[in-house]
Formats: sequence, C-alpha cells, structure tokens
Amino acid sequence: METVPPVPSGSRLRKIAWHWRYDEKRELWIGWWTLVVFYNLYGLLFFVIARTQPPPEPSLPPSEIAQWFADHHYGLLYGYALVFIVGGATAIMNATLAYTMRRMSVSRAFAYSYLLIYALATLPGMLIMGVVCTVGAMRPDRDPELLSWLYDFAFLSFEGTMGVFLIGSLVWMLAVLLDENRVFPKWFGYLNLCNALTEVVVAPAWIFKRGVFAWDGEIAWWINMAVFVTYTAVFLTLIRNLILREDFGTGPLPDLESDRAIDAITLGTAR
Amino acid sequence: MTTVAGAGPRETGTGRQPATGTIPHERPVPGQPDMWIFVLFEAFVFTSYFTVYVIRRTQNADLFLQSQGQLDLRVGIFNTLVLLVSSWCIARCVQAARDGEFAAALNNIYLTMLFGLVFLVSKVLEWTAKIEHGFSFTSDEFFSFYYFLTAIHFLHLLIGFVFLGVAVHQIRTPARRSQELIETCATYWHTIDFLWVLIFALLYVMR
Repeated sequence: METVPPVPSGSRLRKIAWHWRYDEKRELWIGWWTLVVFYNLYGLLFFVIARTQPPPEPSLPPSEIAQWFADHHYGLLYGYALVFIVGGATAIMNATLAYTMRRMSVSRAFAYSYLLIYALATLPGMLIMGVVCTVGAMRPDRDPELLSWLYDFAFLSFEGTMGVFLIGSLVWMLAVLLDENRVFPKWFGYLNLCNALTEVVVAPAWIFKRGVFAWDGEIAWWINMAVFVTYTAVFLTLIRNLILREDFGTGPLPDLESDRAIDAITLGTAR
Repeated sequence: MTTVAGAGPRETGTGRQPATGTIPHERPVPGQPDMWIFVLFEAFVFTSYFTVYVIRRTQNADLFLQSQGQLDLRVGIFNTLVLLVSSWCIARCVQAARDGEFAAALNNIYLTMLFGLVFLVSKVLEWTAKIEHGFSFTSDEFFSFYYFLTAIHFLHLLIGFVFLGVAVHQIRTPARRSQELIETCATYWHTIDFLWVLIFALLYVMR
C-alpha cells in the first residue's frame, strides 16, 4: 500500500498537486469547484456577455426587438457559444447535488428523481434560450415579426418555465427534513420551501406583458433572483461543509472542528 | 440549545406525560430554531412584495383606491378573525401538549384545521364573487396584486395543513410526541396568520 506523505507546506501549487494525488475527497472537490465555476460563468455569460439577464421588456414592438437582436448580435453569438461549451458541466453539478441526498439516510429515490428533474430542466433553464437567441442573432436582417416570435420563445422558455424547478426544490426539502444523518441543517430544508414558492410566483409571466408580474417585473424576476442568489450561495457553502465533514461512512456526519468549538463555548463544556 | 438528553416522557403530578424534547424555558425560541430562519426569510420575501405594492400604489393612488372600494371590508375582517381564532387554537394545542393533555391538544388542532378550512372556503367564495362581478387577475393593477397576494398566502395556508398533519401524527403516536416538532408546526401556522394580518391591512384597510 502506498504511504501518503504529509501535506506539503509552502507553494500552493504543490498543495494542489498533493490533493490531486492523495486527497480521498478529490472527486467531491471537483464536483464542488465545478458548481462554483459554473455559477460564476453562468452569471458572467448571461449578465455581462449575452446580456439576456436581467431580461429586456416583453412589451417591445417588433421593430425594437429587431434592434435588440442587432445590438446584442456578438454578445449572443459568443456568449451562448461559450454557454454550449460549458453546458455539459451541469451533469457534474447535478451529480454533486444528488450525492448530498445519497449521503442522507433517506431513500435513493430522492437523488434519482432530483437528477432526472434537473437533467430535463437544463433544456428550459439554459439550452432552449441559447439556441433560440443565437438563431435570432445569426441573421439580424430577418423579418421583425419573425424575430419577435423568437424573442418571445426565448424569454418565455427561460423565465416562464421556472416551475420545473419547483418539484426539484421540494424533493431536496423533503430529503433534508427526513434525513437523520445531519447532512444539512433543517433550516436548509425550509429554505428549499422558500425557493420552491418563488418558482410559483413566475407563473404570471405567461399572462402579463408589462408590470411587476411580467418576465422582467420586480416580483416575477428581481425578487425571485434575490432569493435564488441567496439560495445558491447557501447551498454552495453547505455542500463545501458537507465535503469537509464527509467520512465516507453511512451514519451521521461528524461536526466540523469549528462547530464543536462553538458548541463547547455555548454549552460551557469541552468535549 | 440544550436538550433533555435521552429524556423519555417525564412523570407529572397528575400522572400525565408531557411531550418529549427540549425544555421550553431553556430554549431561545419555541420549536426548531430552523423554522425561525424560514420565518425570517419569508418575512423578507413578503416585505419585498409589500414594498413593491406600496410603491405601485403610490404611483397609481386613484386607481388603487377605486378598485379597493370593490372589496368587502366585512369579508376581510371575517377572514382575519377566523385565522386569529385558528392561531389561538394552535397555541392552546401547544400548551395542552406541554401539559401532557394530548386529547385536548388533538381537539385544538382539529379546531385549528376547521378554522383554516373556513378561511380557505371563504377565500374561494370571495374570489368567485369578484370574478362574477368582472374583477379578474388582469382587470387592473390593484386586482393583480389582490389575487397574487391572497393566492400566494392561500398556497402557504395549504402547506400549513401539511404541518398540522405532522403535528397530529406526533400527538396521536405516543412513541413520538416531540414537543419541539409540535411547536415548529405551530410556528409555521402563526406565521401565515401574521402574514395574513399584513395582507389584510394593505389590501382592505390602507387608504
């Protein structure tokens, strides 16, 4: 059996090389870093390069929609080309999220259903919008009526279909609340409920072309986005803690050393 | 948080056994602290909705005032009273469970359900009447907010029945009877009551 040398001190590169070679949690860290990199890239590509988020107004007339495609021509083409390249990373991300449920004491059905829902949700949550936007951007000289059709299709397929994530959040919520292995704190289960409820709030985007309930509205988009960003930041942190605590057993996960210290101070006992 | 480690039901002077779990006076909040994080987060989300409502109302004061006149204040007051009574019942249920009076706790939780159901039926009847009078989700901005806020609250109330079901299951099963879980379910119910009071004030009362 190979002897594992101690973690090298000094150069960060050498530490990374050590972890790559000897860390038994290597695959989990790859999954976690994929999540972190993907969400950052997602923000960069959708908000900065393609500039499809925050979404433009749904009430624009065809002539202004044609202008919108002309103005976003390169951003849409290059932005979504990159989205398609990194889109496959969702497989690793979903697997990492499903792993959290596999580590719980609950049935594996939770992880499987979550994986299936999110694998399908990649279509309305990312790919359809990308394909339709690039089709529109590729030939900006198309009839504005046709571009208007593509515009509605792109944004409704993305903003209006958040409901597909509703069941995913509820599956994760149930798993967390039923789990006895303390993989995540129970409040994260309830936070999933909050997130699930905001997915319902998007539904009026199918009815309204302007106002707070339209796809760019304060309620249908801005508040939901604030909740989603908070939710994402929370689960990234909790998954990181899970990996740090992971003992590859089947029972309850041990606490982090820092949590034990806090408990000792709170309870006035040293364990 | 301090728990009664390994504590089973404790004997009381009356021979009744209160629910197990943490000792109320040693806990920072009733029920799981996790539920209170949910309460705070939901309060943040609803405060955002209310803020948007108030801003839009300020920008269209005449329209909002005119449409608000179509709502029947008596129905709003009735709904509020019904939910307040349901909250009182769930509070009595918690107290009864603490005292080991599980039959009374069950009766109170069934009463909570009954009043919750009355609220739901009343809300559906109110919506139906409004739609029959031509006031739908898309009639004007006030009614969009009216249907949105009452519907999202309605959804919270439906979820509340799941929590009440969990509490009933806890009380009916002698091996379970976790006081902490019963209080957690009660906390959720109080939250939707609290949110309704705010919705009622904004939609029906504020002029």
